[in-house]
Amino acid sequence: MPKKLTWLTLVALVGLSLSACKILPTPSAQDGANASGFNPDKMVEDIWVAKVTPYLQQKAGPFAEVHALAKTDQAAAGAKYGNPKKQANSPWTFAVRVEGKIVAANTQSRAATMDIDVDGDGKADARVQIGPAIRGTALRDSLDFVQFNDFTNQIDFAQFGKAFNAYADKTVLSKLPREALEGRTAKVLGAYTIEGGQNLPLVTPAEAEIGPKP
Amino acid sequence: MKLTRRMTLAAFAGVLALGTAAPAFAADLIAIITPSHDNPFFKAEAVGAEAKAKELGYEALVLVHDDDANKQSELIDTAIGRGAKAIILDNAGADATVAAVQKAKDAGIPSFLIDREINATGVAMAQIVSNNYQGAQLGAQEFVKLMGEKGNFVELVGKESDTNAGIRSKGYHDVIGDYPDLKMVAQQSANWSQTEAYSKMESILQANPDIKGVISGNDTMAMGAYAALAAANRKDVIVVGFDGSNDVRDSITSGGIKATVLQPAYAQAQMAVEQANDFIKNKKSPEKEKQLMDCVLVNGANAAKLETFALKN
Repeated sequence: MPKKLTWLTLVALVGLSLSACKILPTPSAQDGANASGFNPDKMVEDIWVAKVTPYLQQKAGPFAEVHALAKTDQAAAGAKYGNPKKQANSPWTFAVRVEGKIVAANTQSRAATMDIDVDGDGKADARVQIGPAIRGTALRDSLDFVQFNDFTNQIDFAQFGKAFNAYADKTVLSKLPREALEGRTAKVLGAYTIEGGQNLPLVTPAEAEIGPKP
Repeated sequence: MKLTRRMTLAAFAGVLALGTAAPAFAADLIAIITPSHDNPFFKAEAVGAEAKAKELGYEALVLVHDDDANKQSELIDTAIGRGAKAIILDNAGADATVAAVQKAKDAGIPSFLIDREINATGVAMAQIVSNNYQGAQLGAQEFVKLMGEKGNFVELVGKESDTNAGIRSKGYHDVIGDYPDLKMVAQQSANWSQTEAYSKMESILQANPDIKGVISGNDTMAMGAYAALAAANRKDVIVVGFDGSNDVRDSITSGGIKATVLQPAYAQAQMAVEQANDFIKNKKSPEKEKQLMDCVLVNGANAAKLETFALKN
């Protein structure tokens, strides 16, 4: 079992660079990006400690509070925990702290997640992404100092969003334990984008800790 | 004879009266320029924009550039020559369009771009586009789930001159690339075309009979690919598209194509006309030039609510 885990971790680390996909060149967009020396990974690395985590720490509310307000009054929740400069047509993304007990985990999928019970009723309240595949752009979208208008095009903006996930995976998530997660405690600072439907809110962490086995 | 002459005179007087009165009453003109209406997506844009323009009291000049930048440039000249008050444009190339939109701007005519961006800001009054990357992520996540995170797949890419072809492909791969057990065995452009997708799919299938899924850059190509798969008795292959057309909706509800991503084309075109109207009547510019509209995943759960590029409640 430990052997398999090491292998998984290796795959997790290498997987990002050894992707199965080949990207079709889009000359115009890529030339533009190269000409301007656009380097999203470097950009994220430069602002992560200085701006990103301080912003989330200052803005985030406890998950139960944020989500309760979001369900009754999205605009109010947005004003308090969201990015007020978001695109008018986009859903709100909120900065949150999730603290509680892990009641379920899916580490079979590469988009691994753990379900957290924050109010002690034994039922999951939030689903936290633990990578290596991470969905969405919640981290990017939670920050009021990141504007689509500051980017040449959607591709640059998208790569910037992806760079946040990659950085969180590299520096935080890939170091988390993956076995016997159920029953342990978890403490997460991150963001989630409000969605319709019955799914659990999907939180992308910028900081995460998992407690010892009970 | 006398009667006739009087009538002619009266008619002539009438024409004169109309002629002098016309400038005061003629509706302002809005030019609506899109790619070919053969693709129902672009047709929905044009229909949405025209309906909104008429509703707001404008005359609409609907033109198609067929993804030809030279033709687009001529159409912009036409719009300038006809004294259009605004241009609603789904453009023919992120770089090639900059000069054409600048030309309109220099002539005092604001352009409101929909669907596709250009690689410049401060030239168009607005760029209202679907968040193609976000949409591609939704489509790819559904595709990954349907594939069970593993297996061989094919990607059909759109027209290379269209910036959205690249954005969607990139969005797909940003998600799929995180799953090393998903192997892309072929990637070809079918130029957004249904017939081209059909023939490309036929030959890809011959070379790679072991494919499990096809992810397509738009719905027309998805329709072509699915038709080829069905003809080869391979309806088991998972097909996912992009746009949210009625054709793909019908395929989803009848168990064919598995999913697509809705772009709010109709609403987007109408929003552009509303912003143009605000500028023409109140000199009010949109708050932000670049405006993103989120896409929505369409699958078996909500396909029935889809109609002409909008989800009904």
